[in-house]
Amino acid sequence: MDAIIQLIHVSKWHDRKAALSDVTLEIEKGEFVLLMGASGAGKSTLLRMLIGEEQPDEGQIFVHGRNVTKMRPTEIPYLRRKVGAVFQDFRLLPKKSVFDNVALPLIVQGASEKDIRRKVTEALRAVDVDHKKDQLPNSLSTGEQQRVCIARAIVNGPVVLLADEPTGNLDPERTREIMELFKLINARGTTVIVATHDPHVLNHMNRRVITLVQGVLLSERRIGQGVGV
Amino acid sequence: MRRLFYLVREAWANMRTNRTTTIVAVLTTAFTLACVGIFLLLYVNLRNAAGSLQEDVKVMVYLEDRLPGKTMQELERKLRADRTVDGLVFISKEQALGEFRVQFPSESHLLEGLGENPLPASFVVTLASSFRSPDAMKGWVERVQTMEGVAKVDYNQEWLSLLAELIGYIELAAIGVGILLSAAAVTIIGNTIRLALLGRREEIEILRSIGATRTFIRIPYFLEGAVLGACGSALSLGILKFAFELFRQQIQLTGRFNGIEGMISFFPLSVCLALIMVGIGLGFAGSVMSLLRVGEGRA
Repeated sequence: MDAIIQLIHVSKWHDRKAALSDVTLEIEKGEFVLLMGASGAGKSTLLRMLIGEEQPDEGQIFVHGRNVTKMRPTEIPYLRRKVGAVFQDFRLLPKKSVFDNVALPLIVQGASEKDIRRKVTEALRAVDVDHKKDQLPNSLSTGEQQRVCIARAIVNGPVVLLADEPTGNLDPERTREIMELFKLINARGTTVIVATHDPHVLNHMNRRVITLVQGVLLSERRIGQGVGV
Repeated sequence: MRRLFYLVREAWANMRTNRTTTIVAVLTTAFTLACVGIFLLLYVNLRNAAGSLQEDVKVMVYLEDRLPGKTMQELERKLRADRTVDGLVFISKEQALGEFRVQFPSESHLLEGLGENPLPASFVVTLASSFRSPDAMKGWVERVQTMEGVAKVDYNQEWLSLLAELIGYIELAAIGVGILLSAAAVTIIGNTIRLALLGRREEIEILRSIGATRTFIRIPYFLEGAVLGACGSALSLGILKFAFELFRQQIQLTGRFNGIEGMISFFPLSVCLALIMVGIGLGFAGSVMSLLRVGEGRA
């Protein structure tokens, strides 16, 4: 299998404190990876580096064959179009409808009207909120808002989907639903990386688990049945 | 198409969200540009007036008394051959006296006491348009002054130079005030854009996270600045036109400065369009300034 993400001896310091310390890992195409660790373990830092929001102080990062650490600032937006991101706080635009929120990545890329309509409808259907496409995000439940956020992340068919504490604001039932959704997305071929501090998430997963403790990669293990679907 | 629609809609949304600051920015820009416009209007009209007056400038070459016919013919030949001279009219002593009587009928008795006609014969010379600058005229006059048979050469040099000097000062004032007030307009628009940027910081973060380029993020703010500048300059032109018409009406009503209302004019369409373009440019500069200051530009 091909590695879609590679971290080679990556270190990052925040105010003289190591956020990541000499992390080396590979994630293969189509994998589903859980990035576990307590708050401040370096999970978010790692994810931010994968989309070029932060640069490591040492080491190199490759995403989809491109060295992120050597990218020019003008190239970063194009990387982010290949890597979808889901956030704990959803980051939806409150004054735009669900449809318009999900359409945003396609508008940014200059997709045609026809493509936008088709892809947004498909993405909303995939996360099961297509019946709420004309509503404003604030009128939706937290679970639905997270679904809209996921739809926005997958609407342009990214090769990798990153989720930073996607279930942090959800109850156990909604958590299960969202994790099932990630499994479905992964089953369609997208590499999925979910960062979480919630050990209950493991109950729903049979996947590779990477554990970070204070910026150090502590363990890598596989739980359940194999990798991928 | 949808992208363009989105960008325009975002710019419009920015302006609507910060309605009060947008209105204040347009009004202040209009006021500052109107101040610059007053100087510009004054400058343009004075220049036009100076231009038309210079068209009309005649140089009087007064001849010595009792000049032999041969010398006068020789002088006329020399003047006509001069490429600086566009036209030449001879005024005899008798014609000069007749004109004096027509122009100053109440003073004509003054000449009668002298017995003999004291007015000299003269050539009224119109210079070619390329030789009507004060310097060129001065050089020509000095040359003709030395010619045989010429008693005196006279033209309205003093007040023409004065007018040129005045126009120069107004030009300087217009440039100075223009630079100063343009900087003020840029700052005002810049601050309006800055407020919009700060108010939409979260949205900008979201756009960045989904792969929007710097240009895509910036365009609505550039558009907003340009629209503010265009509205401000259009409004300033409206204010100026209103003030101009009011001024013209006052001249007609009071009857003072008769004839001046025919000489003054408002900016032609091309200058109006140029002023609106200047407004757009200032607005654009304001946007650039605030985008650089707030630092949205991180990739």
